[in-house]
Amino acid sequence: MIEFRNVKKLYPNGTIALDGVDLKVEDGEFVFIVGRSGAGKTTMMKLLLREERASSGDIIVGDYNLTKLRNYKVPYYRRELGVVFQDFRLFKDKTVYENVAFAMQVVGTPTKLIKRRVPAILNTVNLPDKGKNFPSELSGGEQQRVALARALANNPKIIIADEPTGNIDPKMSIEIMNLLMKINKLGKTVIVVTHEKALVDYYKQRVVMLRDGKIVEDRVGGMFK
Amino acid sequence: MKKRYRLTYFIGQAIKSLWRNGVMSFASIAVLMSCLVVMGGFALLVKNINTNLEKLNLMNQVVAFCFPDAKEEEIESVASAIEKMDGVESFVRVTKAEGLDNMREQAGEFKSIYDDINEENNPLSDKFVITYRSEEDVTNLLYTLNHTEGVRTVNASVDIAKAVLNIKNSIQWIFLGFLVILFVVTVFIIINTIKLALNSRRHEISVMRYVGATGWFITLPFIFEGIIIGLVASVIAYFVEMVAYNYIATSLLSGITMITVLPYKEMGLTVFLQFLAVGVGTGVIGSLISIGKYRKS
Ligand SMILES: Nc1ncnc2c1ncn2[C@@H]1O[C@H](COP(=O)(O)OP(=O)(O)O)[C@@H](O)[C@H]1O
Ligand SMILES: [Mg+2]
Repeated sequence: MIEFRNVKKLYPNGTIALDGVDLKVEDGEFVFIVGRSGAGKTTMMKLLLREERASSGDIIVGDYNLTKLRNYKVPYYRRELGVVFQDFRLFKDKTVYENVAFAMQVVGTPTKLIKRRVPAILNTVNLPDKGKNFPSELSGGEQQRVALARALANNPKIIIADEPTGNIDPKMSIEIMNLLMKINKLGKTVIVVTHEKALVDYYKQRVVMLRDGKIVEDRVGGMFK
Repeated sequence: MKKRYRLTYFIGQAIKSLWRNGVMSFASIAVLMSCLVVMGGFALLVKNINTNLEKLNLMNQVVAFCFPDAKEEEIESVASAIEKMDGVESFVRVTKAEGLDNMREQAGEFKSIYDDINEENNPLSDKFVITYRSEEDVTNLLYTLNHTEGVRTVNASVDIAKAVLNIKNSIQWIFLGFLVILFVVTVFIIINTIKLALNSRRHEISVMRYVGATGWFITLPFIFEGIIIGLVASVIAYFVEMVAYNYIATSLLSGITMITVLPYKEMGLTVFLQFLAVGVGTGVIGSLISIGKYRKS
């Protein structure tokens, strides 16, 4: 379960990015976070990743209270999350296989297990034959699926995607979104930040709308009909 | 699930990174190496000065000469007088015959110049080499010796010993100051090398953070980079020192019989271990500082 309790975020330059956010997301839910540019969506994701700390209020994720979480425990907390960014953030000098394996090596997974698990994950994201390719040889949609595979590598409970389709053409966007739905069906909590109305409407999921750092709508079944 | 981190991973990452920033890595190693060579050279110089001072008996010793024509009982009375003096640690009698032998020995290939001198016409006197306990005793001791029946003259090399000590101390301070500056420069260059390495892997590090890599997992390769810089620098410094030392010992000092030059082999292991400690230490300090700065930014 993810819970924001009256969360405020004030950046050092004085910008109030979040102004009293209350939000509860149950395990296994699928949630869209929408809102204009500058509404505070990315800030919410940064707080969830514990990249930033809330100025006040509490954020609870599973057994972790992020307000009280000590710095040295942050890496272990992050293993519960999988993140996907608009710009993929893949290593250009590593193959698809190595990109995914990297996330597992970094947390000390034995090579044997990595060898078994990476092909399975590439299968999940419908890229079973691309292991030996480099990111530059793939389309934007395929690269984002590699990023998604990497996010899944350590078997996290929660997947966070900040504008995952922002750099991808619309047809490929559907594919990514379908994958995120599929991952949600596999039991993971999925939070997707987006401003693509068509997608949000198409999937008829829970939609949380932010404006000027406040939640102004929270309902199920699309937004922009 | 058992977690395993491989040492080879960290070392591999470190070597890759050193290779990628070749110029800076080279500069770090070169400067650290120079630093070690200067430090080592200085330490070896001091060791040699000490050995020679000891050999020349300049330290804590005065020499009392008897008269050339002194009778045996006169000399023995001087001996018993010295025995009773305050501040005397020990003393040795050197007969004029022994004195002559010593001179012949020191003359080396020119010893034939003493061929005409024999037991009959030996111009030397018997002498006593007296080792005193401390500097404070010298003035009294010299006074007493000078007023002892049968003592012709006293040769105190106290001034020479002091002068040599002073020179040694000044050299020590100059070198120390020089070394401190060199090490500061070295640490600074290493910091920059590691910072460059951190910077060129910024993207990789940010992804590592997102997938939950611990701080030490991320930073260990950079500490290994510092260790490798220190290791390579110390090994090279060891050999440069050896070549330089042996060159100076054989081609510059070998003709001077007065000076004893200690063989490098005897001190090699100590030199190497000290280089290793200082080199690796400096490398690690450099990495830790840059990692600390990186973490804050
Ligand atoms: N690091 C930061 N420092 C200062 N202000 C920031 C920072 N990050 C974001 N902001 C500001 O906070 C507000 C919310 O930004 P953000 O969360 O990125 O919005 P969104 O992702 O919805 O576009 C904006 O006004 C933005 O300019
Ligand atoms: Mg944003």
